[in-house]
Amino acid sequence: MNRNQIFPPLVCGFGAAVLTTVPGVKNFACCLIVPMAAVISINLDHRINKSAFPIQAGKAVFFGIMTGLFAAFFSTGFDVLMTYLTRTNDFVEALPQTEAFIAQYKLNELLDQTMAIFRQMSKDIIAYGFSAFYLFAMLISNIFVNVIFGIFGGLVGMSIFNKRTTHTQN
Amino acid sequence: MTSSGSYNLPVKFLTNPAGKKLLLRTVLFFAVLIWCAGIVYNSVLPESAYTVLSSVFVKKIYGAVCHQRIAKTFKFNGHYFFVCARCTGIYFGALVVSIISLISLQKLPKKMMLLYISTVPMLIDVISTTAGIYNYSKLIALITGIFFGSAVFAYILAVLENNFVDKSV
Repeated sequence: MNRNQIFPPLVCGFGAAVLTTVPGVKNFACCLIVPMAAVISINLDHRINKSAFPIQAGKAVFFGIMTGLFAAFFSTGFDVLMTYLTRTNDFVEALPQTEAFIAQYKLNELLDQTMAIFRQMSKDIIAYGFSAFYLFAMLISNIFVNVIFGIFGGLVGMSIFNKRTTHTQN
Repeated sequence: MTSSGSYNLPVKFLTNPAGKKLLLRTVLFFAVLIWCAGIVYNSVLPESAYTVLSSVFVKKIYGAVCHQRIAKTFKFNGHYFFVCARCTGIYFGALVVSIISLISLQKLPKKMMLLYISTVPMLIDVISTTAGIYNYSKLIALITGIFFGSAVFAYILAVLENNFVDKSV
């Protein structure tokens, strides 16, 4: 794998992360942003590297995974940056409401510890604008979701471009 | 178990195309089922400390793929779903097709045109509501989402089967 192969997923992943951060854009194509980025990254790879057709399924999956990974890293980065600058986020804002809600239940040890972790995360974010645990949790969940959506996008992209090439050749 | 042959039965089944197809469809069905269950569990399950606490993070997970605007989200049992009406439609459309694909193991058509056609109602709805031609309706968003989600899932399944099941024969 050369550097040029990483470039398309990197650019498209970054683009997807930017778009998922812009609220107005997210309203239009929320769950389609990452799959579309994977489709575009395959197209970009073909244009930059003059890759051969037909695109192999393995390559499409690889591009989907890479686009999803980059999108996850960048979107987590943007989230962390915004949290650092504002010293708050929707998690911190929702926590008091959750605590008030949960007060009616008798918590067992596990839930008590979870709540303690949540409180610590909220305290860290308010005090320093950063919580390592929050970063870790966000990164893992973003990687999980974006990689899956990226793989689907990669496969759809592969199918679209292979079909187009077949039509052109015929 | 009387012979080593009986041990090989599941292996033989999963290495032939029909077995692989069934395995792939089953895995996808459970994946979509778990994803859809995650969207609604907070509204469907009886309220408890577990659901309240877990919803804080689960909402964040779904936030990666949906704007989650309250005005565009269904509410059930006093709790909002974790994704908007259109996304709910997309994922439940996929779930319906995944169930159908499990019941009828027929080969799915890999028609690009079907994918394009299913996008049209959703695009018209998005453009019309944005342009103010008519007001946003959760029901229309749900229905157009179901069309799109079912077509996309059928297409992805066909692509997966073409590339990972049929080609390995």
